Amino acid sequence: MLDFFRTNRVVVTSGALLLLSLLLLSVSVRTQRRIDPLTGALLEGIRPLQVAVAGTATLVRRNWGRYVMVVGVAQENDRLRQRVLELEREVVRLGEAREAVTRMKALLAMKEALDGPAQAAQIIGRDPSPWFGTVTINKGEADGVTKHLAVVAPQGVVGQTISTTAHSARVLLITDHNSGVDAVVQRSRARGIVQGALDGGCVMKYLKREDDVAEGDRVVTSGLDGIFPRGVTVGVVARVSRGNRGLLQVADISPAAPLDRVEEVLVVSPGTRMGERVP
Amino acid sequence: MRGSALFAACAVIAVLLQTTVLPAMAGLPAAPDLLLIFCVYLGLHQHTVGGAFGAFVLGYLQDALSGSFLGLNAFGMCLVFTLVYLTSRRLWVDNAISKIVVVFLAALVKTAAVVGLIAVFLSTDGLWRGVARYLMLEAALAAALSPPLFAVLARTRTAGARAEP
Repeated sequence: MLDFFRTNRVVVTSGALLLLSLLLLSVSVRTQRRIDPLTGALLEGIRPLQVAVAGTATLVRRNWGRYVMVVGVAQENDRLRQRVLELEREVVRLGEAREAVTRMKALLAMKEALDGPAQAAQIIGRDPSPWFGTVTINKGEADGVTKHLAVVAPQGVVGQTISTTAHSARVLLITDHNSGVDAVVQRSRARGIVQGALDGGCVMKYLKREDDVAEGDRVVTSGLDGIFPRGVTVGVVARVSRGNRGLLQVADISPAAPLDRVEEVLVVSPGTRMGERVP
Repeated sequence: MRGSALFAACAVIAVLLQTTVLPAMAGLPAAPDLLLIFCVYLGLHQHTVGGAFGAFVLGYLQDALSGSFLGLNAFGMCLVFTLVYLTSRRLWVDNAISKIVVVFLAALVKTAAVVGLIAVFLSTDGLWRGVARYLMLEAALAAALSPPLFAVLARTRTAGARAEP
C-alpha cells in the first residue's frame, strides 16, 4: 500500500487535490460566500501590483497613441480641420437661413395684416449714387407689378415703384428727395407730407404751426395719396422745428424700415388697406 | 527552492498580465490563459507533488481573481496537470510542436471540465454561446503563446538549478 502511494504519489496527490477542488466548489456554491480569508489575502496582496501594472499599461497605451502612432494623427488632424471648416460654413449657412426665416415670418405677418393682394419681392440692387435713393426689386410687369405701387416692409414704408421692366422694378425710397408720402402723426392726427432728405432721413413738411407734434410721435400713412395703404408706419419724429415766424413747422422723421438693410419687401396692390375689409 | 520562487514570481507576473494588460488590449475578443500554459509546463517538467500543488495553486489563484466560484478553475488546472503528467510519461512531447498541441488540447480539456462543473453545480443558461464563440480562439491564443512562455520558464528552471548547490 505504502509502495503504491510512494510510486504514484503525484497521481494520488492530484486526485486528492481534484477532490479538494470539488469540495471547495460545493461549499462555495452552497454558501455563496466567495471571499474566504485566503482569497481575501491573495486579492489584497496582489492589488498593489495590479494597480501599478494597470497604471503603467494605461500610460504606455496613451503615450503610444499620442506620440508613437503619429502616422494617423496628421491625417486625422487634416480630416478634422476640414470637418471644422465644413461645420463652420454650415453654421453660417444655417444662421443665414434662420435670419431669413425670421424675416419671412415678419413679412408674412405683414402680408396677413394687409387686407388685399400683396406680393413679396427681394431687393436685388441698390442705387450706386449717394444723391438718389432707389432700389431694384426682382418682380416686374410679368408679375403684375406696375408703376406707383406701394412697397412696404414689416417695419414700415419703404417707397413706391417708379419704373418697371418685365422682371424687375425700380423703387423710389422714402428717403429720396423726390419722394413724397401723405402721412399723419398717429397721436394728434396732424397731417403733412413726408419727403426724403439728402442726408438719408425724411422730413415731414406742411405741418401747421399749431399742430401737436412732439419728439417720439409715430407717423403713419394717411392713405389719401392713393398709393400707400392707410396706417402703415412711416417713422418716428426725431426733432420738431418751428421758426420764429411762419404758419408751418417741420419735423425730422427717422424712417421705421431699415432702408439700407432691408432685403425682402411687399409690393402692395392699389386699394389694399391695413387690416380692413375691402368693400 | 530558488527555482520554485522564480516560478512563483513568473506566475504572479502572468496573473498580473492576464488581469490588467491582456483584457485591455484593443481588438482582442478573448484573452489567452497564461496560467494554463504554466500548468501544462508543470505537468510536462515538474513530475512531483510540488507540481501538483502548483497546479492547484494556479487554479485557486485564478478562481480568486475571476468571477467564478472557488474550486472551479482549481479543478480544471488539477485535471490538466494530471492528464499532461500521465501523457508525458507515455508519449514523447518534448518538441515545440508537440507542446503547442498539448497546450491547445489542455485548453479544450480545461474548458470542458469547467463547463461540466458549471452544468452540475450551477446553471448553463447562455453559457454555450460564449463557449462556442471563444473556446477555439482562447485555445489557439494559448497555444500560440506557449513557446515563448515555455522558453522563459525553462530559463527560470535553469537559473534555479544553477543557484542551488
